[in-house]
Amino acid sequence: MKRALPVLVLTVAGLIPVWRYTPSDGTATTEAAQPATPPSAAPSATSTTGSPDTSAQSVVAGSTVTTEKGDVQVEVTFQGGAITAVRMLKQPNHPQTTAAVPTLIEETLEAQSADIDTVSGATITSEGYKESLQAAIDAKGA
Amino acid sequence: MHRVEHVMGFPVSLRIDDEHVPAGLADAVFAWLREVDERFSPFKDDSEVSRLDRGEIALGEVSADLAEVLDLCEQYRLATGGAFDARLPGRGLDPCAVVKGWSVQRAAELLTAAGVRRYCMNAGGDVVVAGGPWRVGVRHPDHADRVCTVLELDHGAVATSALYERGEHIVDGRTGRPATGLISVTVVAPTLTEADTAATAAFAMGAEGVAWAAGRAGCEVYAVDAGRRVRRTAGLPRAA
Repeated sequence: MKRALPVLVLTVAGLIPVWRYTPSDGTATTEAAQPATPPSAAPSATSTTGSPDTSAQSVVAGSTVTTEKGDVQVEVTFQGGAITAVRMLKQPNHPQTTAAVPTLIEETLEAQSADIDTVSGATITSEGYKESLQAAIDAKGA
Repeated sequence: MHRVEHVMGFPVSLRIDDEHVPAGLADAVFAWLREVDERFSPFKDDSEVSRLDRGEIALGEVSADLAEVLDLCEQYRLATGGAFDARLPGRGLDPCAVVKGWSVQRAAELLTAAGVRRYCMNAGGDVVVAGGPWRVGVRHPDHADRVCTVLELDHGAVATSALYERGEHIVDGRTGRPATGLISVTVVAPTLTEADTAATAAFAMGAEGVAWAAGRAGCEVYAVDAGRRVRRTAGLPRAA
């Protein structure tokens, strides 16, 4: 158990970027299971550990790591010496945990004329309406 | 049916494509928007917002609707680090940025509740649709008669905040100065409450507001910065 400690610290630190950059596909995903795990200062094993048997599975809760966004704690499942699963036990209540900042695509600004049903634009006043594309669409559809 | 009325100082265009439209439904939609204007306009002396601002009613005495609006204002103020603020120093309470999107979203929910399947409502440039596909153009910031991109939505909302229509009227609450980092920012979201407020808040934040809005759950973003560069999210629902 003692030998596992430094490995776990590295593992938890290495997982923070994974948490930070959860790709967003437009749908909000949150951890389904967020048990109210009390903060554990030291890792605790919940199944067989310390066995030299490489096929043994062990589930270990990492220590709570404090980041600038809040506390992060993960639970790692080992199959022998290999990590087979990682679960977030604790994550900060921060917008980035539900939708990480996605990569933005850069483009050049184009001016198009297109067949459209309606136009989104800055709040158009009743005075400015007459000259607007939306007025033309409304006139056509009236 | 297709009807245009001017409410709250901007045109509201309502198009319903269903064959059967319940009698009086469109009247109810426009009546609701006029009611919102009476109750929540900071420019009307006897509105609930004005009375709250003058201290004639206490915060604990406001209507459930106004409490909801003020709660939304506070949520966005916190989420933007104060860039979005309905209570700017030296100015009266002005929840307009939230009221517009929120009230038009409510109007859309009236339509859905009445069984309407395919509609497109445009309130002064804020769009909410259902039963699509709908092709929603984004106005080009320099040319009123052109679009810079076309979106295709089945249902949801699109809102744009930009410099071109009313000049530098959106203030960055953190500095008290007009926001200038962006020329135009468009947000697509499941509701107009979110799309409109997120677009205004992103505009107030300036260039950093693009990534901020892009990081909000369910939001897609199309922005033109002061250098006329476009930045958009990969998931923006552009028409083919």
